[in-house]
Amino acid sequence: MPEDESGVAALVESARAGESQAWDDLVARFGGRVWAVCRAYNLSRADADDVFQVVWMRLVNSLDAIREPDRLGAWLATTARHECLRLLRKAGRQVPVGDEAALDRPDDDTPGPDAGLLRTERAAALWTALGALSPECQRLLRVMLADPPPSYQEVSEALGMPVGSIGPTRGRCLHHLRSKLGSINGGGAGSN
Amino acid sequence: MNDDAGLGGGPGAHDDDAVMAELRQAAGQADPLPAESVAAARAAFAWRTLDAELARLAYDSLLEDQPLAGVRGVGTPRLLTFEAAGLTVEVEAAGEGPERRLLGQLVPPQPGRVELRHRGGPATVKADGMGRFAFPGVLPGPVSLRCDPASGAGTVCTDWFLT
Repeated sequence: MPEDESGVAALVESARAGESQAWDDLVARFGGRVWAVCRAYNLSRADADDVFQVVWMRLVNSLDAIREPDRLGAWLATTARHECLRLLRKAGRQVPVGDEAALDRPDDDTPGPDAGLLRTERAAALWTALGALSPECQRLLRVMLADPPPSYQEVSEALGMPVGSIGPTRGRCLHHLRSKLGSINGGGAGSN
Repeated sequence: MNDDAGLGGGPGAHDDDAVMAELRQAAGQADPLPAESVAAARAAFAWRTLDAELARLAYDSLLEDQPLAGVRGVGTPRLLTFEAAGLTVEVEAAGEGPERRLLGQLVPPQPGRVELRHRGGPATVKADGMGRFAFPGVLPGPVSLRCDPASGAGTVCTDWFLT
């Protein structure tokens, strides 16, 4: 879904001019996507909070440097990814840049500690199935589940992943998700 | 393009989109963007730097170095370089836990005043004749340095970074 580029351009322009309402609108528009990146890297809640905040503090001083406002989403995704990688590396987890697929799962609270908030059985089953996927699949889907959803370009920047491999990987991950969902719904009867 | 290329007879792209929509709703319920985070992002606007030049992060050993497994010790300090037109700020960040410390130097070397902005509130120290300065007791979270070189070259603020 293409971003409303002229809308973003106008908001960036207004924020540059000092209008805090425009800034709030940018936060509302892109906040979910930045948060999804933080969570996709499986940071603790406190680390995710820090990354989320520092990304926006960076942006405040970089508004002038973002010449093409349609690149804002990609800029936010890249910045969030780098901050996540810094924290992961600082925590002593060896993560070569560009090899995020090698990340393991540091905390076992993925996909999130608040599964109790899910309103329907179906939603709970989906969430459980998501949590049973490979780290690579969880990371991709978590980024793509932001609301509003990111463009493929933003996903690419958020994960250091070629645009061309996003669609096929998403398809494969959803295929796995369906299998997990099947065994959850089947109560595990078929697995013994 | 068929999202399920190669899976042979799997559900189509339409079904994938439907599952993604359901998952998106679940994610919105189980892991919503916290209201405090939104508030912090909005408040960031107050940190707009209008009266100083921005020194951009040009180097961060944490990102740039390709550590060999087992070589990089836990205590290895992290080095960061921030560059503005007339001034470079070199920073070494060390320490863990609730308090960290920053050692830094203004380049070219010169005395001046350096203000630390962090969650503990602002703190100011003098840079010595070599441009060196130190901040103990830096709290975790976003950090930036505001540097006033004595040469009168103009105030420089570094990009925000996480210690």
